[in-house]
This record gives sequence, C-alpha cells and structure tokens, in this order.
Amino acid sequence: MKIVVLLKQTFDTEEKVVVEGGKVKEDGAQFIINPYDEYAVEEAIRIKESGDAEVVLISYGPARAEEALRKALAMGADRAILIEDETPSADEAYVAELIARAVEKEAPDILLAGYFSVDNGAGQVALRVAERLGMNHVGAVLKLTLDGDRVRAERDAEGDIEVVETTLPVLLTAQQGLNDPRYPSLPGIMKAKKKPLDRLTPGELGVERKETTQVIEQYLPPKKEAGKIIGGTAEEAARELVRLLREEAKVV
Amino acid sequence: MLAIGFMLTDEQRTVIDAVEELLRKLKPRQEAYFKSIYDDQHYPDELWEHMSALGLFGALVPEAYGGSGLGLLAMTLAMERFAAHGLGNVLAVLTTMDAMAILRGGTEAQKRRFLPAIAEGKLRMAFAITEPDAGTNSFRMRTLARKDGSVYRLSGRKAWITGADRADYVLVVARTIPYEEVIAQGLRERYGMGLFLVDTKAEGLSMQAMETVGIEGFRQFFLYLDDVEVPEDHRIGDEHDGAEVMFDALNPERILFAAKGVGMTEYALARAAEYAKARRVFGDTPIAAYQGVQHPLARLKVLQEAARMLTYQAAEAFDRGRARSEVGLFANMAKYLASETAFEAIDRAIQTHGGNGFSKEYHLIRMMAPARLMKTAPINNEMVLNYIAERALGLPRSY
Ligand SMILES: Cc1cc2nc3c(=O)[nH]c(=O)nc-3n(C[C@H](O)[C@H](O)[C@H](O)COP(=O)(O)OP(=O)(O)OC[C@H]3O[C@@H](n4cnc5c(N)ncnc54)[C@H](O)[C@@H]3O)c2cc1C
Repeated sequence: MKIVVLLKQTFDTEEKVVVEGGKVKEDGAQFIINPYDEYAVEEAIRIKESGDAEVVLISYGPARAEEALRKALAMGADRAILIEDETPSADEAYVAELIARAVEKEAPDILLAGYFSVDNGAGQVALRVAERLGMNHVGAVLKLTLDGDRVRAERDAEGDIEVVETTLPVLLTAQQGLNDPRYPSLPGIMKAKKKPLDRLTPGELGVERKETTQVIEQYLPPKKEAGKIIGGTAEEAARELVRLLREEAKVV
Repeated sequence: MLAIGFMLTDEQRTVIDAVEELLRKLKPRQEAYFKSIYDDQHYPDELWEHMSALGLFGALVPEAYGGSGLGLLAMTLAMERFAAHGLGNVLAVLTTMDAMAILRGGTEAQKRRFLPAIAEGKLRMAFAITEPDAGTNSFRMRTLARKDGSVYRLSGRKAWITGADRADYVLVVARTIPYEEVIAQGLRERYGMGLFLVDTKAEGLSMQAMETVGIEGFRQFFLYLDDVEVPEDHRIGDEHDGAEVMFDALNPERILFAAKGVGMTEYALARAAEYAKARRVFGDTPIAAYQGVQHPLARLKVLQEAARMLTYQAAEAFDRGRARSEVGLFANMAKYLASETAFEAIDRAIQTHGGNGFSKEYHLIRMMAPARLMKTAPINNEMVLNYIAERALGLPRSY
C-alpha cells in the first residue's frame, strides 16, 4: 500500500502573527506543520504501523518547508517530495494542479491531507487534487477504518457525525480529533536526516503558473475593545443597557 | 528568542528543537504540571514518560546497549530547556549520574543488564551519599558494606536522599573499610568505599520522608539500611575503589545541575521582562523602561550566557572523554556560576514583580527554594571554590 500525505508548512497561529505592508511578516515567525496536516501524517504512520505501507510526503512551498518535511519524516514517514517555489502561489486551482501532477506519479492508494490549512483556510487544495485525479474523497475525517479495499470514515458534519463508506483509492482530509500526533523522537530525527527528500520545480512538473485568484492584502482582525460591565440592580442594569444600545451602539 | 550561542553542532540544535517542540505541545498542561510540582510536591510521571519517549535517556546510552549514543550534552541541553519552562527534573539528573557510573565503571554484564532499561526510561534511580553526620566530608561516612559470601550486607543511615520514593534503585555509597581503619593504615581517605545499586524494595531498607520544601516535586528521605543484602553483581566498580567511578558520576550531576540553573535563569528573566513590559506604575510608562529595572536583568543575562557556555563545555569535555580533572574543573565552574546566577535571577524576577512576586500564581516565590538549593547541593559553593582554587590556581588546600 502506498500513502501520500499532502503537507504544508504554515506559520504558527498560536504565536504572535505580525502583518506588515499587507503581508504576514515571515521574519521572526515560527513555522510549523499545518496542524491538520499533522493529523494526516500521524494517521498515515499508524496505517503503516498496523500493516505495510510506504508513506510519501508531498509539499509545495519555499525551501524552508524542508524543516516541516523533515519533522514528518522524523515522525515516521519514508520519503518526501518538495515542489519548491520561493514565492508560492495562493491560488488553490493552480496549487492543486501542481500537486495533482506529483501525486499522479506516485499513484497512491490513500491520499491524506489536512482539512484545511490554518494560514489561508480555504480548504480547497486537497479536494481539487482528488477531483483532478478522479479519486473518491471524504472530508473532515474523525475516525478511519480500513478493510482491504473498503474504507469506512466517520466525518465531522458540522457537529454531527456522518459515516461514509467508500473504496480505495481515496482522499481523506483529517479533522482535529482524528488522532493525537506523536512528536519526533531523537533517534527518529537522526534517521530523518538521511531519508530521501526530492526537490522538484513547478516547471519540472510541466505546469505553467496560472492564477485565477490573487491575494491583494492581508490584515489582522480589529482589536477587541475591553468589555463594559454594567453594575446596579437588574432593573438599573437593564435600563442602562438599553440606553447604551440606543445612544452609543445605535443598534436599537 | 532563544539565545543559545552559534557554535552548536547540528546535532545539538536538533536536540534543542526536539525538546522545544515537545514542550510546545505540552504547554497547555503547564499550569497542571506546576500545580502538581509546587502544590502537591509531586513531579508528574507524565513528564518522565515524555522524556523517555523523546529518547533523552537513550541519548546517554551507546548504540551497542540500545541507546542513540548522543551523550551527556544531549541531556544537558534537554535539562536546560525543561528548566527554562519551569519543569526541571532532578530525578532525571540523578538517574543520569547513576547511568554514567554504570557506563564508565560497570562490567560488561552490568552494562548489558541495566543500560537498555535506562535507555528506554524504564529505570529511575536515586543517589545516596550524604549522612546526617557526613555531608561535605563524605569520606567520613559510617554506612558499612560487609562482604558475606557472594553478597554484601549494608548497614547505616543516609539523609537527604532525593526521590528515593520514586526510584527503582538507589546507588548507595558505603564504606567497605571503616574510615578510621583506612586512616590508621595510612591509606588515602577515598580508599575503602564502594558503590552499590540497591533495589528500593530490598528487605531491610526503609525510608522516612524529611520535612523539607523539596526540589521541584521531589522529596527528601532518610534511608535506613538494616543489613540490606546486595548481590555482588550490583556493586559498581572496584570493591574498595568505588570512589573512582563515583567521581565520574559526580561531574555529570554538577553539569546537569548547572544546566538546570541556566534554564531557571532563562525562565526568571523571561517572566521578569514580560511582566515589566506590561506593568505601569507611574503614568503610562511600563516599568521595563526604567534602567533600574533593566540593568539587573541585563547583567544576569550576561551571567546566564557565560554559565551556559561553561556548562556546554563541561558536558562536551565529558562526552569526549577528557581527563576527569579537566571535566571536573569546568563542571564546578559551570555549577558555581549557574547556581549563583539562578538564585539571583529568581530574586530579581521577584523584585520586578513587586507584590506579585510573592503570589503563588506567578510561581517565582516557589522557585526560590529549588534555585537556592543549587548553591548548597549537590555540593556547596564553598567546596566548589576550594576545588577551583586548588586545581586551577594551585593554591593550598584549606581544610
Ligand atoms: C534539598 C536537598 C536535596 C539533597 N539531595 C541529596 C541526594 O539526593 N543525595 C545525597 O546523597 N545528598 C543529598 N543532599 C545532601 C547535600 O549534598 C548536602 O546537604 C551537602 O553536600 C552539604 O552537606 P551538609 O548538609 O552535611 O553540610 P555540612 O557538611 O555540615 O556543611 C555546612 C556548610 O559548611 C560550609 N563548609 C563545609 N566545609 C567547608 C570547607 N572545607 N570550606 C568552606 N566551607 C565549608 C559550607 O558552607 C556548607 O554549606 C541534598 C540536600 C538538600 C538540601
């Protein structure tokens, strides 16, 4: 069995994100494996550990994305492919086309990816790849059971759980809760340094850069003002609240 | 920002990154860990498991015995990072020193028996040398190991033994020849001492908790040894020359304590800087803008970096198998500077926090004791300076 995992290196949204000149400032930002992709990597390694599988990572991004790939290799993936681009496009259709070409060559039985990436958050690329390759797909998977060619996935349907049965080859996108990703051990990290990592350029994949969308600007959400606590008896507070809603917020 | 010097090797950086990655993942649990360590005097087992899974104990053990052979420096870096997050682990320090005793002084059979389990993090070990009446001058210890056929029988009393309740084994230092006899025969006072790996469940061994403030979740114990039988193959090193092996273990202990001091200093300075930037006392100026607040912190930062370099150098010297005296000199200098700096840093961080420095919520006041401890144990800083004066400056021994 061959499993391909799509992995993106993103900035850490848990750390401070600085926007400068309409762009997220990379200098000083912490970069991590997109957390949803980390669930995908973990799931792939678990499938490998419970049977026999090769786990191949594919990433599109700048050279620094190697760190994220090495980390996933240290977790237990076998090899990695980096489609290198120092100014990566955010156009999902183009990115999907690139990745689809690379995935196609690997012809995986299972394609795993994150539900969405925490930076752009569109959640389109993986699905578009599956679409281009004519693969079945199940999104936002919370639990996965494999039985030969048969796939049973429990997916997050906006709070409910939907059970989907399908067959290989399939794309599954990982939702938080699918598993608890391991962290790389020191021996794992040492081994990962020697695992194969191939670099490709978009040109080598025969895909011309064609963008139908462009990111014009990025900005932080407006700062939340400190809340106001209204004191007094219930009646006084209600009166004051109505007054504020009418006179200050002008919403009633 | 992690200021960790630029002369680290790739491998060392990897260790730091791996530990930081782990600690980042554990961050949501930090308050729970602090509660367990400082309120319940119980270092979380979970953290030990994580250290094992990461392969930190394996790093101490050569590949031939199931480890990765990265060496003491890996544990040194890890200990610093754990302490930098307020999670210094003294039992890991003690286990490391015992592991080093086995590695440097054990027989092939002992290595094959104990090292793989240590590498997996399955063995926790304490160290017992101090007695109520023999601390700094441990040569005068009274605990006696009597040879009895193929076993030894240990009798005596140890004090201040950290983590004895959490350990599988205690490496006990005992006299194989009483002190007076050694002196009467004109032998060196370090002669006639042996190292014994004593199972904490052995018959005749009992322990009683001491009323101390503990060290980061580990308590101290009196150990009572009443004719405790120890198999001969649990003696590490020569029967009468255990001190040889012991010195190989005491250096790593000092190095790891130094690393803990460097980490604690980082914790204290980071908290102080963070607080000072947010706290406004006069007008709209944060207290961080006052040089009276800045300079003491900046000075400690300098001392911390110096301590860090000494510490790494000592660990590196140990890993490269440099002469024990050379390792010892750096280990002692590192321990001295790191312990003095850590204590001052916690003190300064408390000062920076004003009244909040004394609030449990900010943890600093509770780190005061473990920071202060390092000036006294594993060895007091007067003895450290004695050593440096004698070895580095050739000054006469004063005691
Ligand atoms: C919290 C804690 C945990 C400990 N954990 C362990 C443990 O796990 N295992 C273990 O074996 N021991 C442990 N110890 C014991 C520790 O190593 C000793 O307390 C320490 O070595 C000092 O010995 P002492 O208490 O007998 O002090 P003493 O030997 O009585 O010394 C008292 C003081 O006299 C001064 N002094 C002594 N000799 C000289 C000299 N020649 N020159 C200048 N000044 C001198 C020093 O300032 C010293 O602090 C622990 C101690 C503490 C407090």
